[in-house]
Amino acid sequence: MWFLRVNMTDRSAKLEGVPAQYKNLGGRGLTSSLVAEEVPPLCHPLGPNNKLVFASGIITGTPANTAARVSVGGKSPLTGGIKEANAGSSWAQDLPSLGIKALVVEGQPKEKDKFWGIHITWDAAAGKPKIEFFDAAEYTGANLYAVFPKVYERFGEKISIAGCGVAGEFKYGNSGIVFNDMSKRPSRYAGRGGLGAVMGSKGLKWIVLNEKGSPGVPIVDKALFEQGRKKMNDALRTHDITKPKGGLNTYGTAVLINIMNEAGGLPTRNFSSGRFEQAAQIAGEAIFEGNKKRLGQELYNHACSPGCIIQCSNTWHDEQGKEISSCVEYESDWALGANCGIGDLDAIAEMVDLCNAYGLDTIEAGATLGVAMEAGVVPFGDAPGAINLIHEMGKGTPMGRILGAGTGAAGLVLGVTRIPAVKGQGMPAYEPRAVKGIGITYATSTMGADHTAGYTIAPEILGVSGKQDPLSPEGKAALSRAFQATTAFIDTSGHCLFIAFAILDIASGFEGMVEECNGVLGTNWTNDSIVKLGGEILKKERAFNEAAGLTKAHDRLPEFMQTQPLPPHNQVFDISDTALDSVYGEL
Amino acid sequence: MGNIVIDTWLYGELAKYAGDPQQTVFANPTIELSEGSTIADLLDVLRLPTEQRGITFINGNLSAMPGLQPDLTHRLNDGDRVAFFHLKSMWPFQYRHGVAMIPEMSDAMVEGRDQGLHHSYSAKE
Repeated sequence: MWFLRVNMTDRSAKLEGVPAQYKNLGGRGLTSSLVAEEVPPLCHPLGPNNKLVFASGIITGTPANTAARVSVGGKSPLTGGIKEANAGSSWAQDLPSLGIKALVVEGQPKEKDKFWGIHITWDAAAGKPKIEFFDAAEYTGANLYAVFPKVYERFGEKISIAGCGVAGEFKYGNSGIVFNDMSKRPSRYAGRGGLGAVMGSKGLKWIVLNEKGSPGVPIVDKALFEQGRKKMNDALRTHDITKPKGGLNTYGTAVLINIMNEAGGLPTRNFSSGRFEQAAQIAGEAIFEGNKKRLGQELYNHACSPGCIIQCSNTWHDEQGKEISSCVEYESDWALGANCGIGDLDAIAEMVDLCNAYGLDTIEAGATLGVAMEAGVVPFGDAPGAINLIHEMGKGTPMGRILGAGTGAAGLVLGVTRIPAVKGQGMPAYEPRAVKGIGITYATSTMGADHTAGYTIAPEILGVSGKQDPLSPEGKAALSRAFQATTAFIDTSGHCLFIAFAILDIASGFEGMVEECNGVLGTNWTNDSIVKLGGEILKKERAFNEAAGLTKAHDRLPEFMQTQPLPPHNQVFDISDTALDSVYGEL
Repeated sequence: MGNIVIDTWLYGELAKYAGDPQQTVFANPTIELSEGSTIADLLDVLRLPTEQRGITFINGNLSAMPGLQPDLTHRLNDGDRVAFFHLKSMWPFQYRHGVAMIPEMSDAMVEGRDQGLHHSYSAKE
């Protein structure tokens, strides 16, 4: 396999052999290692010295299931630190199938506001990928739903697409990198941290892949890989959350809306309450039953990418049975719903669709709208007003540009003191004053406030079981550290993080993941070695952040969470700085 | 002895236990019980078999998980909000680590082999 380096200064491309130290890495482990090694920590994220790195997981592109994840890395214009965001898409499988272990976008064109695309195909005669540049001017300044079909029309139905929307062209701190879903929608996002702006800053609009004729991903020990794949699949097919017609396939991630609301931990109206009185109207149960009523039949969820067993992506339909949006995830539903005081699913779905169309991260968009509502730009609950503000972001009006800069920046401009962000990144849908453990992860993650940074892995595997009281501040910090490390590994493997639900309860599923990786790479990793590898990835990310100027002082939640009690439990975030610092202090 | 009133929330397929089969998303019946009644008494009035409920809250405090129900003898007070969830619901540990619980649930988790990390609990474990 190769590293493909694309230089946007002169629009050249070269294939390099993979250096030995990177051979056993993939996904986040590879993107973060390359960024840490090659990007000057003090560079401007939108300047020529930043790099944008794409790498699929170790097992992505093989027959492994629920494993079509691609990581994108670079220095974040939103946080000023290292960033990894990942997405599920056929694109993730096609990149390694073409023999490309990492695609590194470097440099910057001298021409301002010009955009190009890259088309990568398999050159059978040469036995390597062929890279061609094309002028992408005709696709800029447009709704992604309008231009995606044109890209398919030009390059064929079997392609996969990565790109940025107008949010990336405007270089917003809130801009994701879009990937196609299985119905050719521009709906799968490596959303967080403004990586769309990094892509836009390099004048790169599309990376189009056609894997036809490509050799695929080599597997060193096929028997071991198959053994691991079977264990993983058995776990996914039997666990109540991940199995077909199970919790996620039926209700999607938005099944959490009612739960978090009852727990008093659903951030409402810019984190001013933990309960939203209209929560039940926008929850996963309402989506499933609402679709059933509008379509006249049950509709179970679909896969975001080929080979997924869980299939958690939903679609919301209007009164006439026409699709409004796919998909209304828990985070998007919350961000554009409860956090804005909006209890209308049709309006929320329309906003999700607009974010997809413009290339915005739905979490950052909703968190920013919440701050704008707090400032009185439009009132809480004003769905048409919120929709209009998203259009302003899409058009690049002065207000749109302020909001596109993200939660932290918009809050500063608008004079808001309640800004729910860590390291400049808007907080996702779990209130740290009600859920103290997630607050520790939000505060200390190398990514800024991130709900995917610390998924739960069985403590007996992590080796922390019984050592500390998990409910003490120190115990919570220890678990957060262990969860963040293993999550970094899952993000490296190429599996979707949602496998964590199954392998937490079914130990053989965890063994399966390790065996799949060992089968592909020919390694002899054990549980211990993957926890260690995850920790090493975190250390690299942490070192980059420290060199970029992010210190312990940035590992804190916003002040208001320590001083303003949150209804209904009326609690503040009371985890000590010492406990927060121990997360990385003891890594 | 007087009566107490419980603000009851039934989510998803449990909504039918409020008595109206047309309610499939959620139901919010107000249930009157005699003073001193428990969660078990509330379930009896609703005719909701306890094994059909999963995650449960009393006033926003976690009181039960699928297969782990230390709240059956928990005494209810007038005005309590009680929420019952169906078994397709979920709440991953990382999103409930450090949440408020009734004392019986805290004790059950501390005593448990896994200290409350798993998604569900059953007799086979």
